[in-house]
Amino acid sequence: MATIREQGYSHWDGRLIERKRPWWPLTTLGIRLIFRKKNFRLLFALSFIPAVVYLVGIYASERMEDFKFMVRGSAQLLKIDPAFFKSYFTLDPLLFLMVMLMVFACAGLISDDLKHNALQLYFARPLGKRDYLLGKSAIIAFFVLLLTLIPGLVLIIFKLVFAGSFGLVRSYPWLPLAVIGDSLLLTVFFVCYTLLLSALSRNRRYVMVMLFTVYLGTDIAYAIMHSIFKNPYFALLSIKANLQQAGAVLFGQRPPHAFPAGLSFGVILAFCLIAAWILQRRVRGVEVIK
Amino acid sequence: MTAVLEARHLSKWYGNVLGLSDVSLALEPGITGLLGPNGAGKSTLMKLLTGQMKPNLGQALVRGERVWNNIPLFRDIGFCPEADAFYEEISGWEFLTALVRLHGIGRAEAAERAEKALGFVELLADKDRRIRGYSRGMRQRLKIAQAIAHDPAIIILDEPLSGLDPLGKRKVIHLIRDYGREGRTVLVSSHVLPEIEAMTLRVVLIHQGKIFAAGDIPYIRDLIEKHPHQISVRCDRPRDLAARFVGEECVLNMSFGPEGRSLLLETFKRDVVFGRLPGIILETGIRVEEITSPDDNLQAVFDYLVGK
Amino acid sequence: MSPGDDARKGWIRRSAGRVLGFFFFLGRRAKKTRVFVLIGLLPVIQAAAIKTSELGRQAPAGEGLAIFSNFLMIFYLQFFLVILTLFYGTSVASEETEGRTLPFLQTRPLSKPGIVLGKYAAYSLLTSLIVLVSLLASFLILAGGRLGSGAAWGIFLRSAAVLLLGVLSYTAFFTFLGVLMKRSLFVGLIFGFGWESVISFFPGSTQRFSIVHYLKSLLPSGPRGRFSFLMFRLEPTRPALALLALVLITAAFLGLAGLLFRWKEYLAED
Repeated sequence: MATIREQGYSHWDGRLIERKRPWWPLTTLGIRLIFRKKNFRLLFALSFIPAVVYLVGIYASERMEDFKFMVRGSAQLLKIDPAFFKSYFTLDPLLFLMVMLMVFACAGLISDDLKHNALQLYFARPLGKRDYLLGKSAIIAFFVLLLTLIPGLVLIIFKLVFAGSFGLVRSYPWLPLAVIGDSLLLTVFFVCYTLLLSALSRNRRYVMVMLFTVYLGTDIAYAIMHSIFKNPYFALLSIKANLQQAGAVLFGQRPPHAFPAGLSFGVILAFCLIAAWILQRRVRGVEVIK
Repeated sequence: MTAVLEARHLSKWYGNVLGLSDVSLALEPGITGLLGPNGAGKSTLMKLLTGQMKPNLGQALVRGERVWNNIPLFRDIGFCPEADAFYEEISGWEFLTALVRLHGIGRAEAAERAEKALGFVELLADKDRRIRGYSRGMRQRLKIAQAIAHDPAIIILDEPLSGLDPLGKRKVIHLIRDYGREGRTVLVSSHVLPEIEAMTLRVVLIHQGKIFAAGDIPYIRDLIEKHPHQISVRCDRPRDLAARFVGEECVLNMSFGPEGRSLLLETFKRDVVFGRLPGIILETGIRVEEITSPDDNLQAVFDYLVGK
Repeated sequence: MSPGDDARKGWIRRSAGRVLGFFFFLGRRAKKTRVFVLIGLLPVIQAAAIKTSELGRQAPAGEGLAIFSNFLMIFYLQFFLVILTLFYGTSVASEETEGRTLPFLQTRPLSKPGIVLGKYAAYSLLTSLIVLVSLLASFLILAGGRLGSGAAWGIFLRSAAVLLLGVLSYTAFFTFLGVLMKRSLFVGLIFGFGWESVISFFPGSTQRFSIVHYLKSLLPSGPRGRFSFLMFRLEPTRPALALLALVLITAAFLGLAGLLFRWKEYLAED
């Protein structure tokens, strides 16, 4: 007797196969639906501006003679080293653009499913909670990695090509690993951040506001407290500051805030663990309403 | 008698898609059923008649006045939308009393009317539960309650019976018939002919945004009776079954399904065929998987009528 | 004025009144309101932390009020107020179309401008309450020993009035935005946190093309000392003119929102 999941009103005569990654169709559909939004494509294109600017910087670094008139006295700015890559990965506008992408494209990932009671439809198929969350996470990971890992590796490759030598990787052999590491850190954080807030409400507009509010609000809280007390530890309140602190350490640079960077890693880890726990509780096939 | 609800050469486009095409209709007091398959334009017509949309061409009139932005008209209109949407975080009671009060009715009277309406749709026991916890049928009943609570003279119901159990349907049908007898104007839409039949004899058939038949149900039935019915039997020995039916006078035509596992019968006497079928199945021991009437739906009727 | 105009105004007034009652009730019940109230506790917690630290050191006189006038006003004026009014203002139209509950309002004897006005009033009232309660709590903590001083209360009342004006004007603008376009929240974010921040760096009359300029022009001139970020590069408008501008902005955007809502038809989002 066929399992209950294989029974239906329409009989398909093909062979049902076990997918190695049952969550994959969720991811591909999600990405396709996001790209269908007209204005998203413009925003997505704009979010590559920082990468393009840094690419131009790499070009300029190999053509210093031509650009001397522009960078008079600032030749240091165009030194391509881990600090250069760290500055890209911890750039305020880049982090802000990633938040805006989450606001515009990913706010409804779970909240829309909650609103339309679609979780029951998902879990009536051979798809577990883990697969569902993996599928949704992969959508966010796709966009974040496209803005972090890919540009990071492309910048390294272009530097090697423009320089005509492997000098960069000879001097800093761990640099590609740092790029991968920080990209993964940002990806994991934004996955947990976006999915957590999306799972907390059935109203996508509200989730959009909260994604923005929490990011900006924590930074404002830090700015106010730091300005009054001059205590760098208040940076632990700010999402942006923690990401920048962790990023600096991964690229072997001096952290921007005067406290052990391990605390920032701890804050990010704690946040991700709490988010995972809440997601496990919120994502359910059946909801009991009292 | 002057028309209460009137459509004069109404046309509506959704971008390049034609929702309604030059529809003219005049509805007098009493019950009118609006019958059509999904996507026919029933909801579009209702939304135009209730002032939720502006016509691109033509006029939608209620009591001789244009309905768009005509606020006083809405005192006497009750509308039950098709969409399943509510203010989910409040209870049924709070929802209904608030909507009644939006008519300018005082608090005490609104409570009285809400109680009466909820009592009629049998939601009094659950009135204090949040709407988010209501089942599909309860939500449908609440929609009907909000359409009738303020005692309107004109009631427009978009698929009011969907999601209701048979007893619930019966109650709503009786209510609608009572309203018709009281002289109110009721426009009810459905894609199920027997449901409309149970409420009224007066129907308007709409298809692809056009009215192509309006009149009494016997007239519509007559049109359908002249068109042969199809019955499909999916079984293990369709040819044996065909052999038993070939001598029957009630069968006009027979053919086999493309995969050779079903028999399609055409007949003017559907009831006779259905009467003979069980006996033949028992006698022959044929193993039947499925019996359907492929054309026993409004789409097929409309295809036939439109083709005519 | 013709009888027709009087009748129309009567309908708008009555509709607005009925709608205000319903949506204020709905807004109070909503879970998101509770979350916004919690966010409003942030400055209160900060104020408590600041006050606690003051107990351990010799804080200069008036520092609490300076902190209130500057830092906390940054939080309220350039963050909290914008977020709240953006969410509630754009919700006036968007939540009905996205939630498909618009037919319940459209098929009732309610004037469409009255619906907009009523929801605007309900959400403005709600937002004002959230902001003012938070502001009062922060003030009471920070003002501390100066609560007997009229000057201190003067600063509070003027700050509260500025924030109230901010609620009214921002909500009106975002209501108009919500009625005008589908992606109003996104555009509103760009306006509220992009345009309103950047415009202060422009010289001359350019600053007058923002709402926050007029609000800052009305802020009380309390103790600033080393805290003067809020007034950075501000070329203030005279208070009377600033007040007039805010009233006009509110009236204009509300009027436009009502007219547009009356004229437009909304198709349910599927």
